Amino acid sequence: MSKKFRLLTIVIALALIAALVPQTHNTVVAQDKVTVTWFVGLGTGGNDEQVAAQEAVVAEFNETVGAEKGIELVLVLVQNDVAYDTLSTLIATEDQAPDIVGPVGIRGSNSFDGNWVDMEPLAEAAGYDLGQFPPSLVDFYRVQGQGLIGLPFGVFPSMMFYNRDLFDAAGLPYPPQSYGEPYADGEEWSWDKVSELALLLTLDANGNDATSPDFDPDNIVQFGYSNQWSDARRMATFFGAADFIADDGVTAEMPENWAEFYRWLYDGIWNQHFIPNDAYVNSDLLAAGNPFSSGNVAMSQTHLWYTCCTAGVNFDLAVQPSYNGVVTAPLHADTFRILKQSQNPEAAFEVLTYLIGDASLDLLAAYGGMPARPEDRDAFLAGLNETFTQGVNWQVAIDSLNFPDNPSHESNMPNFQKADERIGAFQTLIQSTPDLDIDAEMATLISDLQAIYDEVQ
Amino acid sequence: MSTVANQTLKTAHLDSAHLQTGMSMHRRRVMWGWVFLSPWLIGFFIFTLMPLVASFIFTLTDFNLNRASDINFVGIDNYQKLLKDPSVRISLRVTLIYMAISLPFSVIIPLSMAALLNAKRLWGKAVFRTLFYAPFVVPIVSAVGIWNGFLNPQSGWLNRIIETFGINGPDWLNSTMWIYPAMMFIGIWGSGNAMLIFLAGLQGVPTELYEAAKVDGAGPLTRVRMITLPMISPVIFYNLVLSMIGLFRYFDVPYMLKRGTGDPGNSTLFYNIHLYKTAFTFKDMGYGATLAWFLFMIAIIFTAVLFWSARYWVYYAAGDER
Repeated sequence: MSKKFRLLTIVIALALIAALVPQTHNTVVAQDKVTVTWFVGLGTGGNDEQVAAQEAVVAEFNETVGAEKGIELVLVLVQNDVAYDTLSTLIATEDQAPDIVGPVGIRGSNSFDGNWVDMEPLAEAAGYDLGQFPPSLVDFYRVQGQGLIGLPFGVFPSMMFYNRDLFDAAGLPYPPQSYGEPYADGEEWSWDKVSELALLLTLDANGNDATSPDFDPDNIVQFGYSNQWSDARRMATFFGAADFIADDGVTAEMPENWAEFYRWLYDGIWNQHFIPNDAYVNSDLLAAGNPFSSGNVAMSQTHLWYTCCTAGVNFDLAVQPSYNGVVTAPLHADTFRILKQSQNPEAAFEVLTYLIGDASLDLLAAYGGMPARPEDRDAFLAGLNETFTQGVNWQVAIDSLNFPDNPSHESNMPNFQKADERIGAFQTLIQSTPDLDIDAEMATLISDLQAIYDEVQ
Repeated sequence: MSTVANQTLKTAHLDSAHLQTGMSMHRRRVMWGWVFLSPWLIGFFIFTLMPLVASFIFTLTDFNLNRASDINFVGIDNYQKLLKDPSVRISLRVTLIYMAISLPFSVIIPLSMAALLNAKRLWGKAVFRTLFYAPFVVPIVSAVGIWNGFLNPQSGWLNRIIETFGINGPDWLNSTMWIYPAMMFIGIWGSGNAMLIFLAGLQGVPTELYEAAKVDGAGPLTRVRMITLPMISPVIFYNLVLSMIGLFRYFDVPYMLKRGTGDPGNSTLFYNIHLYKTAFTFKDMGYGATLAWFLFMIAIIFTAVLFWSARYWVYYAAGDER
């Protein structure tokens, strides 16, 4: 009995120890193969259909290119809410760090700024042709001091979404769909013109528009314009690309065009009432936080990914309005990156080029992104046309790729998380506080940002 | 050797063997006891004790997940930083203010509901009991979503009801003043469990005490003051301790309502929100662990004061059972 007991105890202890030993994902599956790990979780890629698509890509790679070149691709799926912590920890262990990370946008990759491999030498060594992508999209991934830290894969241009029914009801012509084309009245398609139309398209419960002296701002039932799931830096980019940091990389500053934008935004919300405040945005009138999809907003500036959530709205696309004659259309772009901690960067690059090459259409179909490669776009747009049968001019989205924001509104800042949170608080303040001294708040923001930047100098 | 002597030796040998067998059985029982305890012990060691010790060690380092490979021993720097951190002052103040407002209601409201359910003449007790308890089983995420809509100043039912009286309802979730009542509503709405504990306490009060008091001429208020409250004081104490600890841990409602921003005007920057942001948004694990230990110490002090005060107002019918 005693021997049996000892044996049982040993077995239990061994089982527990075995269960607690972390599974090393860098395990070499076959002795003659190099293992490349692909970490998914920082951005999209977590829902069931996407997981299935990614697993199919991994299987296909391992059976074809992997088998030929001696590479075993392993997928590491991590829930988005713990992905940052998990990746941070894996990077800290160094030998456990994954090779490829993605899909991830600019913003998602900022937390790991400085950890990405410059792919220029890898591309040169492999003879990889960067000319297959539009140069502006390749340059989008060139970061000063870091090199080419990504290759174009999925892009999400932004432009103006407008609700045809609300324009029709107001008897107003639709906004233009070609860059350089003026509005129907012959005037420039600018943010001033957007304000002018938005006032006419904002209605109270009695049917008065926002230009009427009888307009009741406490009982608005339709808005002319709304920001759609946007942050303060992205919105300000409508008035020109810039950032809250000077060229020296250490000084916080408020670009004048951005200051002008925040004044415009505040005025539109609290004085002219054609932009909903936070209370309206979160109300049932505006689908509890998804304003344009409610059908009660005439115009929203947002990205192509918003096609996810516009079901039931008879919308079309209009070009991005200009500010002082300059058009800036914020760009979101997802791609895959290679970590500097990768043990096998050449093999990782081989896998990466497969993901953005042979597998790109399958993956982009799952992620919902527009292919960066122009010749791949037809199939993607055909899919959109099947969904949106009202007829949408997708050429507007393609043309908007010519006006990306540089620097990106998602670009890195010193002490990024803290700075980003402080900027978010500023945005909430604008959207939820009447009688605000907006200039004083901008000065406070810059002062706070400087203190946040200084923490990491 | 005589027969008697042989018999004596045989008995002694049997006793010795019996004793050995008995000890062996005892040891076996002890060992099996450890085997059955071991899952909990192993779990406690791995998931509680080790993280506890690790988190204390973190407080003495500058461990940050953004540069996790570069950890340095910093002594008591994190504790010094904590004393100078304005967010600590703000978040502690917010937590204590909300506790001062909410704690009395977190006891009085469930107690009142329990008293109502304990009333002799109440019709449909089972229905009311279910209705009062039901919100407790609603997941907090859903509850906050429901309340978000209910309290919306433009389309929420509450302001629509208020407007029928000719009054403009406040912007519950964007006002530094009204956000606290708004969060309190959510808390009270889900206080079915406390109500049930109070109800059990009320039903445990011996009826003969009330009958005797009636004979002595005690009115209803006197009976509540002199019998009910003292008899259920251990239950009040229990709920008070739980509510207080719950308020120190208060996180999910403000986090979901305001996405952890602390809006409006830092009025929802509870201590745990600040802690969470420090550790899991800014990845500053060393300072985050320091904040956690500081909160632990504060909660211990408050709980100790509550236990100390119990000797003056908590009545145990069977004597001092603290």
